[in-house]
Amino acid sequence: MSRYFYYHIVLVALLNLMLFVPHILIQYRYHGAMTSMAISVVVGTGLCLMFMSIMSKYPGQGLPEILNRFLPRAVTLPFMVFMAVMWIIGPSIAVVSYAVLINRFINPDTSPILVLVLLCAVCLYAATRPTMTIIFLIEMGLVLNLPLIVFILFKAVRNDAINWDAIHTVANYWTQMPKWNAIGAASYIFTGYANLAVYNRAMPPNVRIRHRWTIPLIGMLVLALTFFVPIGFHGTESVDDYLYVWSMTADSMIMSYGFIERVIFVFLIMYLNLTLIYTASGWHQAIEFLKGLAKDYKPEIDGVPMKKAGMIIGAAIVAATVLYLYFFNEKITFRLSEYWLGFRLVVEIGTVGFLFVLVRKGKTRS
Amino acid sequence: MRGKGLLAVLLLAVLLLPLAGCGFKDIDKRFFIVALGIDAADEGKGFKVTLRLAVPSPKIEPGSALSEVKTIQAPTIAEAVRLAKSHVDKELDFGHCKVFVLGEKLVKKNYTDVMEWMSRRRDIQSVAYLSIGRPDAQSIVKIAPKTERYPGNALFLAFGVDGTESSYSISTYLFDFNRRYGEHGMDPVLPLIRKDPQEGDYFISRIALLDKSKMVMLLTPQESQLYNQIANRFGKSTIKATIEEENIVLAANSVSSSYKIMSDQDGNQKLRLKMKISGLFEEAPLGIYEKDWHKLEQTLSEQTEAQIKRMLVKIQKAGIDPFGFGLKYRATHAGNDQTWKTWQKIYPELEFDVKVNVHVEGTGLSR
Repeated sequence: MSRYFYYHIVLVALLNLMLFVPHILIQYRYHGAMTSMAISVVVGTGLCLMFMSIMSKYPGQGLPEILNRFLPRAVTLPFMVFMAVMWIIGPSIAVVSYAVLINRFINPDTSPILVLVLLCAVCLYAATRPTMTIIFLIEMGLVLNLPLIVFILFKAVRNDAINWDAIHTVANYWTQMPKWNAIGAASYIFTGYANLAVYNRAMPPNVRIRHRWTIPLIGMLVLALTFFVPIGFHGTESVDDYLYVWSMTADSMIMSYGFIERVIFVFLIMYLNLTLIYTASGWHQAIEFLKGLAKDYKPEIDGVPMKKAGMIIGAAIVAATVLYLYFFNEKITFRLSEYWLGFRLVVEIGTVGFLFVLVRKGKTRS
Repeated sequence: MRGKGLLAVLLLAVLLLPLAGCGFKDIDKRFFIVALGIDAADEGKGFKVTLRLAVPSPKIEPGSALSEVKTIQAPTIAEAVRLAKSHVDKELDFGHCKVFVLGEKLVKKNYTDVMEWMSRRRDIQSVAYLSIGRPDAQSIVKIAPKTERYPGNALFLAFGVDGTESSYSISTYLFDFNRRYGEHGMDPVLPLIRKDPQEGDYFISRIALLDKSKMVMLLTPQESQLYNQIANRFGKSTIKATIEEENIVLAANSVSSSYKIMSDQDGNQKLRLKMKISGLFEEAPLGIYEKDWHKLEQTLSEQTEAQIKRMLVKIQKAGIDPFGFGLKYRATHAGNDQTWKTWQKIYPELEFDVKVNVHVEGTGLSR
């Protein structure tokens, strides 16, 4: 069963590109990106392991049930709304920036709003399915897409065009002080564990998640690829000029004898799949949190038939996302992403720390 | 329940309605631009843009390539390309434009405007080839070689590794040019395409070195080959030496090069370039087999060392850094802004210590 946990870790780690993580880190490349990445590996792994050990004490229960166990509803309700909002923002940024990306690279004549509506319709349908379905959706999506993504990454690293001197130069800036926004962005790679907040409901009792030592390794590997490969391709200075730095990096590779010469189109399709899965999974959690507000709500991981409430909440999220794109541009999205990533780290540290204290106190009392 | 599902499907279908008539135009209603030349305007400010448009044709055989050339003048490149649309009947598509030729005069003046335009356009591939055209871009783009199988193919093949691999030319991708354009400690290089007035053909045998805004110098074909051997470790090349007034040419099978920047006891910075070249004699007087190969190797090494040193000093005097020595320095010294400033002071006074090690594998088929 532990593979279902690692799917979340890998999915979220790979999706960092859609949330401008490389772009943010590259901005700080001379001002503490290296140290921030090092700190984020420690912080991210620590949070991940703590949260895992807390949740493993309550198999088959999500965060809402655990909170309700210890705290009065008056406290948990606003908290759950807050968590739901945090879970809506990330995936919404991803799907919005993907809609803009399609407009820029694939079809400039279609309005991004229209693309977004179509993407959201798919995500809404998926997000309102039962938890079990989403878990299998993530598994299938990753199994289908991961080989090609790994192939592209491998091709990138082994490419002659990479200038290792540029990578070396940036790596030399490891004496700079870390910056909060850079830590926030880098630690996002590890944030897949937070998905246990809802998906823990599907975890059977007495399951120990094995191979925990791979978590910092996966994180470090993804971080290094995300940050250094664009620098190798675009140099230490020009790399900062690109808005979609990884799309440009994919465009800098060719497969002369592949049936599509330009790698960027394969890359975009792969990331379209990942973004849709990520958004569906993120929104599903937000919906579950909001459903939990109702007094008589009983969490079901395989509930058939579907409840109407999920559809209504999901539609509201979609409406908010579409309205967001209507009113704001990519510049604001980028800023929002940067602040959300930084703030998210605060919330995660707060939540995990709070839960840790809560669970320990709860134990001593009983 | 079934009715509801049907309703949902209908709703989704309605969403698809506005998609009709959007960007997807049929292939026979498109003109594919295969090469684009940019020159400075003949008079006054502005640009002259030359487009080579492929005419879709069912035949693929040498000589059957049909294409049309349009030249438009406008104050900016973007306007020129827009104006080009009013000269043709089909939609212009940059998706297959793999070669960009910049006029020599324009590059000698200032190329930054061109860069800005190219890096902003979404449909220009980052893997397009960039080059300089002499006498100008227009005349290069206009040339349609007789051997072309499909429009633009000859230029693509000249630069890619699928066709000819000449040791006298390099291929510069747009993203690589952009990287060097911004980089501290590495300057852009571009191949120069020259028109052969007699044959009505073009050839690429020299490399142009640029600084951050314009072209600074041109390497001779000989130097271009040396550049290729040092920077790209290009095998399939030659080295030449004169021994007792006889030319001998060694065809290199493998070339390796590495360099280090080090300071000697007095604090003077020195660049130590080490090269290893091994190959077979391709042209040498008969009887070379009997001679002392070791001596031949030494002479070849010494003469190549001198050639390389002369070239490096020439490039250094011009104040440019096409090899990326500066980046190497930054990569091997402490990471702070001071390093780059120090390098800028070091480079004009940098000494070169070139060690070439030639290895003769054999004398070819004859003695």
